[in-house]
Parts: sequence; C-alpha cells; structure tokens
Amino acid sequence: MRITAKSLKTKLSGRTVLHGIDVDVAPGAVVGLLGPNGAGKSTLLRALAGQISSEGVVGLGDRSLDALSLAERGRLVAYLPQDRTIGWPLSVEKVVGLGRLPWRAFGKGLSPEDLAICRAAMEETDVAHLAARPATELSGGEQARVLAARAIAQDTPVLLADEPASGLDPAHQMTMMAAFRRLASGKRRAILVSLHDLTLAARWCDRIVMLKDGRVAAEGTPEETMTAETLRDVFGITAWIDRDDCGLVLAPTGLAGSP
Amino acid sequence: MSPSRLSSLLIVLILLLFAGSLLIGPAALGPLDGLKGLFAGGEEAAVIIMREVRLPRALLGLIVGFSLGICGAALQGFLRNPLAEPGLIGVSATASLGAVLIFYSGLAGASMLALPAGALAGALVAVLVILAIAAGNTTTLTLILAGVALSSLSGALTSLALNLSPNPFASYEIIFWLLGSIKDRSMVHVWLSLPLMAAGWALILSSSRALDALTFGEATAASLGTNLPRARLSIVCGVALAVGAGTAVTGAIGFIGLVVPHLIRPLTDRMPSSLLIPSGLGGAALLLAADIAARIVVPARELNVGVLTALIGAPFFLWLVARSRREAT
Amino acid sequence: MARAVDRSSLRPVGRPARLAALLLALLAPPAAAGEALPRVMSLNVCTDQLVLELADPAQILSLSTLADDPDLSFHSAAAAAYAKNRGLAEEVFLVRPDVVVTGTYSLHNTTQLLEHVGTKVETFDYAQTLDSVSGAVRRMGKILGREARADAVASAYEAELAALSSPPAADAPTAIIYEQNGVVLGSGTLADSVLKAAGFRNLVAERGYAGMAPYPLELLVRDRPDLVLLGSPYPGGPSLADQFVEHPAIASLKSLRRKGIAPRGSWACAGPFTIEAVRALKALREEMAAAKGTGG
Repeated sequence: MRITAKSLKTKLSGRTVLHGIDVDVAPGAVVGLLGPNGAGKSTLLRALAGQISSEGVVGLGDRSLDALSLAERGRLVAYLPQDRTIGWPLSVEKVVGLGRLPWRAFGKGLSPEDLAICRAAMEETDVAHLAARPATELSGGEQARVLAARAIAQDTPVLLADEPASGLDPAHQMTMMAAFRRLASGKRRAILVSLHDLTLAARWCDRIVMLKDGRVAAEGTPEETMTAETLRDVFGITAWIDRDDCGLVLAPTGLAGSP
Repeated sequence: MSPSRLSSLLIVLILLLFAGSLLIGPAALGPLDGLKGLFAGGEEAAVIIMREVRLPRALLGLIVGFSLGICGAALQGFLRNPLAEPGLIGVSATASLGAVLIFYSGLAGASMLALPAGALAGALVAVLVILAIAAGNTTTLTLILAGVALSSLSGALTSLALNLSPNPFASYEIIFWLLGSIKDRSMVHVWLSLPLMAAGWALILSSSRALDALTFGEATAASLGTNLPRARLSIVCGVALAVGAGTAVTGAIGFIGLVVPHLIRPLTDRMPSSLLIPSGLGGAALLLAADIAARIVVPARELNVGVLTALIGAPFFLWLVARSRREAT
Repeated sequence: MARAVDRSSLRPVGRPARLAALLLALLAPPAAAGEALPRVMSLNVCTDQLVLELADPAQILSLSTLADDPDLSFHSAAAAAYAKNRGLAEEVFLVRPDVVVTGTYSLHNTTQLLEHVGTKVETFDYAQTLDSVSGAVRRMGKILGREARADAVASAYEAELAALSSPPAADAPTAIIYEQNGVVLGSGTLADSVLKAAGFRNLVAERGYAGMAPYPLELLVRDRPDLVLLGSPYPGGPSLADQFVEHPAIASLKSLRRKGIAPRGSWACAGPFTIEAVRALKALREEMAAAKGTGG
C-alpha cells in the first residue's frame, strides 16, 4: 500500500514546522528520510502516522488517513517513535506481542498465528534469543531492536520508523536495514525510515527524501540526491563520496564554509 | 503464575478472610450460630448481628478493597508510574472533602445520597487535576508532590469544614474522613456504593488494552489503534466512581492501591491489563485482613482500619522511594 | 476536683500575684450579710445551673454561652436574661467578679491562670451523680452567700429523691443508654444514677463499663435490653453520628426511646432539676410494666 502526503503543512505550538511537503512511498520501497536536526523529520513521520493534525492530505492507497478509524489505522500503519519507553519490566516476547494489539479482539489472547508473526519479527531484528528476558534489563541497543520487532509484528503495509538505527552497533544497524529491505520486498510494505548515518542510508534505501527547514530539499535515488552540493546545502558539510559494488560510501570530512 | 491460577488463589484467600470477617466480633457467636443466623434465620439477635452488622462490614471490605486495588493498578498503568495510587495522589482525600462539604453543610438535608454525590465530585476534580499535571511526561516526583499538595489541602479543608459544623459530633468525625473505617456500616451503604463502584470497575476494565499499549508511551499507544482520549475519560471516570463511592461510605483508606499492585505484579506477566483484576482481588483481601486486625489488635478499643493500612503502607512507600532513588543513581 | 485545687494551691505564688491578690482583697467590699452578696461569674454550663437556681439575680455578672443551649442547660430560659462569657481569662479581668465558679474539666488553663493572679475560683467536679447534688447545692449556696436558700433547695431535693427513688430489684428491666457513635454511659455517671433511681438496671455498668465508653453495636444487639435510650440528634446540622442511630441493627431493637423523653437538659448536668429526668424515666418504666402486664 502506498502512503503519500500532498502539501502537508504542520504547526507545532504556533510555529510552522512543515511548509508544504510532498512525499510518496511506494510498496516495496525503503525510503530514507534525511536532514539535519530540527529539519522536521520526526514531525513528518508523526503527521503521516496521524499523530498530529496538519493541513494537506495524507493518503493510504486510495483512501485518506482522516477517513480511517483509529483501529483501521493501527492495522495499516505501524509507527516506531524515537522515544524508547518501556514502562514495565515486560518480557521481550510480551513487548513484541503488543504489536498484535490492533489485530486482537477485546479480551482475546495471542493466537498461534500471532505468536508465529511475533517470532518472525524477533528473528528479523535478532532478539529471538532474548525472548524471555525482561525488556527493561536489556541494553539500549537491544531495547531498540525489541521495539523495532514490536513495530514489525504489527504487520502493517506501511511502516514509519524514527531513527531506528541510532544507538545500535554497526552490525545490528545493518541487520535492521536488511530486515527492512526483506520486509519491503515483493511490494509487501512501504517503509519510511529517518536516519542520520549517511552511508547506511545510501546503501540500504531505494530512495532518499532530504528535508531542510520543513521543506523537501532533495528527493530521488541515493545517487541522485547524495551529492556534494546537497550535502553542503542541507547539512552544511563537505564529504568524501565514493562507490563500491554495493553502492555509495560517504564520509563527512568537514564543515562547509570552514577553511 | 498463570493469570487464572493467580486469581483462583486470591479468591480462595478472600473467601477465607470473608468468612473470618463474618465470624470474628465482640459478640461471641459460635461459627454454627453465625452461619445459621446468616443463612437460615434462627435466633433473632444472631440474625441481626450477622446480616445487619457483620455482613455489610465484610461486603464493604470486599468491594472497597477491590476498588482501591484495581484503581491503584489502573493509575499506575495509565501514568506509567509505580507510585501512583488514589490515596497518594490525593483522590481519596479530595473525595472525602467533597462528601464532607455536601453532607455537613446540610445542602442535601441529611440524605445519605449526599455522601456519594459529593465524594464523586471531589474524586473527579482530583483526578482531573492530577491528569492535567501529569500531561506530557511528568516525573514521579512532580506527581507525588502534586498529590501531597492536593491531599494536604483537602485534609485541611475537611478538618475546617468539620470544625465549623454546628453539630458538636462533626469534629469527632475528622478521623473517620481522613483515615477511614468500615465499622458499623449497614447494607444501605453497600447498596449505595456498589452500583457506582461496579460501573467504575467496568470503565477501568474497558480500557485495559489502552493501558497495555501505554506501556510504550502515548505515541506508540495511539499508533496501535488506541483511542487515547476515550481511554483517559474511562480511567478518570472509572477511578472517580470507584474511589469516590468507596470513600463516601468508608472515608479515605490509604495505601491499599499502592501496596497491592506491587505485591501482585511480580506474580503476573507484568502487563498492566493482567494486573487489574488480581490487584482488585488482592486489595479486597488486604482490606478484609486489615479490618479483622483492626478488630482484634486492641479488642477493647477498635482501631480505624485506615490506621492499619497506613501503618503497613507508609513504610512500604518509603521503601519504594528509597529503591527508586537507588535505581536512579 | 480536689486534686486540681490542691495542686494549684501548692504551687508557689509569685510576689506580684500575691500583691494583686492582696489589692483585690482590699478593694473588694466585705462579704457581709444582706445587700453585699458576692458577685459571681460562672464559666461552665453545669455551674451556670446551680447559680441560676440559687443566686440573687443581682449577683450574677455572667454565665457561660452554653447556658443558652436548651439541650445542655435546664434553666436556659432563665439564663437568657444574663450576659454570657466564653470562659476567657480576659473576660474575667474586665468584669472583676468576687468569685468565679467553673467545672474541673472545663478550661483548665483559664482556671490556673485566674488562681495564679489571685482571683477566687471555685471548681465543681464534673463526675456528678444524683448523690452529689445536695452537696454541690449547699457548697454553691455557701459560695454565693445564700446558705438558707441552698439548704431549702437541697432538703426539698433530698426528700423528693427519697420519695421517688425505687432502687432496681433483681428482676428490674434492663436499660442501655446508647449515645451517638456507640458510646455508652457506664457506672459513675449521672445517667447511671438516674437509671437506677428510676428503677432500671444499667446493663453496661453491670458489665463493668465505667464512665463514657465505646460499646460495640453487636453487643447491644446481643444484649437486647428492655430499654435502649438513644442520644437525641443535635439540631445544628447533620453528622454521621446522628445518622448512626438509624442503623438497621439498632432499628431492629424493640423499646427504643430517645433520651429526649426526659425534659430537655434535665440530665445533662446534675442539679435539683435532674429529679425531672428520674420522674420521666420512672413513668416510662411503669408504662412499660403496664404494657407488659396487659400484653400477657
């Protein structure tokens, strides 16, 4: 299912954060959302998830997000916020199991099918071996992977993830991105994921959307968007850009404008 | 422990304590006379003692304890705060104040209905104030301080209202409203409070999924299809109904809502929803036990049950605070 | 009472206080017979009653505010004519009475303060019974310089009490006075002596309860006394205590009466008028006996 935004404008406590954004994430695509701090990445994800009201239209397939009930949204759009709160010392499998909430009837437990989906989700983010551990006792990176598994277990055609890779070791950053690619493959899911690691974005995302000051600064394939000019204009950095068999390699080398 | 096994064990415990509550009292009735008086009739005094004195007392212990337990679990889950509790955050004290203001002012005559009406209004105000303060991400400290302020203010105003009453007995009743007791209540009190409490329990249970989803904070909860405004309304009204109706007939009994969820939580999968009913049952067991103790600790002078729950609860609270300090550092 | 007075008389009195006492004694007119009766100020509702009963109206400077409460003050109608005090030492200093009369329990600090500066304070014991009435009357008469009237009142009271009293036989009807909040009046109380004089057995006194004591509702139901006298509700405003007597377990008891069957205020304090409470209860007992006789 495709998720789109048309001239999305959002205000947060009176300040305009998004100035008319157009985004289109097709099924099968992993789209990276890049931009400096305060560019509006998290706000865009929240607006697409229907968490904050905004002007403009968010479309899910051929329907408008506004026309959907909360329960329907829960079965169509999964949202993984930056806030990694786990309020109670639930076991990892219980945390992931809560991802099935939109699919469960009131008062019903997890079906064998639900359990299988949770198991698969835990394997995707490499936390299956932690299943019985209290999630609150895990390291920050492990908790992040558990919460990502929770969002994956929601099994929605759209997945919005806000910096899922931050705080993860390099191997697990790549595990996470590989999982997103697998989940998107075969047009099963449309995935929009905000990232700070430029190389990670360049090598694992099909497309890139770059935000600056609440506007789309660049949009296209990594090759099209991650150029010296855009990096200078959007992030204010100079970077060493190269490519190998699998894609681009980027390394920031300095601040643009400094000698 | 599986949820049904835990609940069964608690129910057995409650049945034992309920029977104990019915069979222990200053009028030394044998168990057989007591049972006969309760079910079959028989000697008039035994019938009245069982049906009009001990039964309402045991029933109130059960339902008020259940209310305090389930409300403690619901508030802890909703605020994601292990120190939230109707007493600590000022709901009970404010419910007392509401009941006192309406009853002693004589606005509603001497009608018994004035008590729950006032208590419900008071509880509602307190929950709304606390939720307003807890909006966004409040630290435990802010919440507890707000609760302390609300409790102190309500307690002081309750004392003031009772001192100003022209009826000389009113000032003796300060201790009842601030500490609570289920002594010498009648079935009228049970029928007065039970429907309101049951409505409160139903509202709280109806938001059990929202409580689970809120484990991850409001953003994730909303993305899981939770109707947060509705859940908030259910919890607010549910707690106001259950705690307000209880306080109207027993005064403010503290700490049960704090202690019980903590004791029960390790026995569950720690999911907020799995804690609700066992906490209610645990609350009922604790209040029944405390009320039996209130009768037998000093036989000649019966204690207020709220004194006992505070004696158990306050040190427990201190221990929790100390533990959370250790964890924070 | 005696204890309180003794203790304060043992306390060393400072020189200024002694001086003040001396000055007061010099300034005060001699308590000679006839016109110069001591002017009195009463700080307690029970001493109010004795003052009203015995004093010449010109003697009375002020009475306590409770003297106006008909539930506590038998002579509340008569009290209306006099000024009232709230029992504060300041009020005493302003009026400078020849003597202050009060109860041992009421406003103990005020009493000590007054004695300390040399005001003559006479305290009357709170634990009163029918037997203590004539002694208290005679003592008050002496304090007020009205010995003859006091003697007449006390003698009449003694004669009337002797004529009226019918100490309870072993088969006498049992009674419990059940006040608000489940408090009973046991042995040593005025109510206990009134019950006995009227020919009732005070059941809680027989069970060893003394003074005012909490009594479990269950025991009241189990005891099933022939008479339960409930405290009268206060007219001022509602209270849980007043509601408590509507408890179904109490309502189930037969022979429930309100304490108000005796004339208002007649047994709140002990005085010659308490004879009226005895009379009312005796009439009630005879009525109960008659009903029992006719009922089979």
